[in-house]
Amino acid sequence: MEVIATQSLCKFFGKVPATDHISIHVKQGEIYGFLGLNGAGKTTLIRILLGMIQPDQGNVYLFGKKLTPKFEGWNDVGYLVETPFAYPELSVTENLKVYHALRGLNDPASIGRIIDRLKLTPYAHTTASALSLGNQQRLGLAKALLHRPKLLILDEPINGLDPEGIVEVRELLLEMAEQGATIFLSSHILGEISKVANRFGIIHRGKLIRELTVPELKEQLVKKVLIQTRDNRKALACLADGGYTTTLSPENEIAVGDPAAIANPEKLSALLAAAGMPPIKIVVETEDLEMYFLRTIKNHDNT
Amino acid sequence: MNGQALKAEWIKMKRARIRWVTFVAFSLAPVLGGVFILIIRDPVALSKSGAFSTKAQVMNFSADWNSYLMLLKQAVGVGGILVFGFVASWIFGREYSDGTAKDLLSLPTSRARILNAKFVVYAVWCAALAVSNLLTGFLIGSILQLPAPETSVVLGHLNDYCLTTLLTVLLGTPIAFFALWGKGYLAPLAFVSLTLVFAQVIAATGYGSYFPWSVPGLFSGAAGSYKEQLDIVSYSILVGTSIAGYTATVMFWRYADQNK
Repeated sequence: MEVIATQSLCKFFGKVPATDHISIHVKQGEIYGFLGLNGAGKTTLIRILLGMIQPDQGNVYLFGKKLTPKFEGWNDVGYLVETPFAYPELSVTENLKVYHALRGLNDPASIGRIIDRLKLTPYAHTTASALSLGNQQRLGLAKALLHRPKLLILDEPINGLDPEGIVEVRELLLEMAEQGATIFLSSHILGEISKVANRFGIIHRGKLIRELTVPELKEQLVKKVLIQTRDNRKALACLADGGYTTTLSPENEIAVGDPAAIANPEKLSALLAAAGMPPIKIVVETEDLEMYFLRTIKNHDNT
Repeated sequence: MNGQALKAEWIKMKRARIRWVTFVAFSLAPVLGGVFILIIRDPVALSKSGAFSTKAQVMNFSADWNSYLMLLKQAVGVGGILVFGFVASWIFGREYSDGTAKDLLSLPTSRARILNAKFVVYAVWCAALAVSNLLTGFLIGSILQLPAPETSVVLGHLNDYCLTTLLTVLLGTPIAFFALWGKGYLAPLAFVSLTLVFAQVIAATGYGSYFPWSVPGLFSGAAGSYKEQLDIVSYSILVGTSIAGYTATVMFWRYADQNK
């Protein structure tokens, strides 16, 4: 079942396209990582998905139902958009009571449960204005998760969290996805997204320029063998004589991208050792999501 | 879900320290009225307080319940524009100033119901201010031992006091719109200030009966006998302004893009 589906969504601010014919499809149980530079259109798309901004063109479907001002499925959706704010003079518990009421929830214990789950119990009666940035972020997540939504739309959910908090949120998201929740996640901390998402979309200048699953991403990540010797210039010549294509990086490392070299790096080591230049470092490096993302948008700009 | 929205607004209201500020500000009128009475009663003090004496003469103010209740009515008709406007600015503008507006937009409780709950809180808050103003006035009047009034005079003033309050409260809806449109307190407070200035200027030119923000003041007797100046058109313009303000507020929150 498609939990989120958009059809050629366009939104212009003046003449600038914030989203340009974006069509995405997110299935139940997926954690969809939505990547983009600042100003790429991530938050605009998220606000369109939440009915806060009307698209100039195209439609949004949540749980198969068209999103209109009369959409009635909001209790299946939890969200956190940009910086989480709370009513400053209300305590953590009171802030959650406001949303408990507005969501028409019947189970008063749900407030205590989510406070415990997000480790806010020591601050349950602390006013929001006195919370640290990390705990304000936890309160924002508590608001989003209070009603156990089937769809979570999170914009930068780990901003301000300490390393322990980041791990907790990661485990929480994975647990929710295991239980069948669908998560649409945007963040500029790509290393973290790569640890939870099972599908990625890259938005650049309002356009969705790449969409791929984790196996597809792994196939597309560039690999290379990085080598350092006592004399890299001689080593370069030696490897070229051996039929390898090489480059010397600004960090003075020899990079070899041939598939044969990546499959058998020990042959390079043996070749160099035989020529009297044994490597002092040889490693197969795989591009990470951050490098892939930057390469993708750079390639897009150049085409 | 209307009850749920009201419950949410009530939770927010309970901790709002600003509400005490409005009650203190609004109680200035009965306190000043009491000071007026004390000075008028004391010939030595009256001769020394030139400005007070002149003002009392201009207002035809005397140390009795009739003058005092007239002053309280004017406080609601003129001062209410400012204080009630402040209340509306806070209730509707706070969601943007606190950054919580976006958390109210995608909920099972519709945006219109959330706004309706805010309007209810606004009306109750203003009514409480009006009652508190009146009670403070009665307390001060009793302490000053004003001569016992005729019941019909008091009832007449109370009737006008309630109607003046209602007319002033109705003018809160355009302020709510400016709070949402301006995404905070600044735009509605600027609007309140402008309406207050224009209400005085336009009333002075004789066209106040057709300017909604002058009508409560005229009705309260701030500019003399209101019955000669206000007619059905005056009240229709005020009610029309209120309905237009309400409609614009609900439509804006339902259909306008919400980027903040």
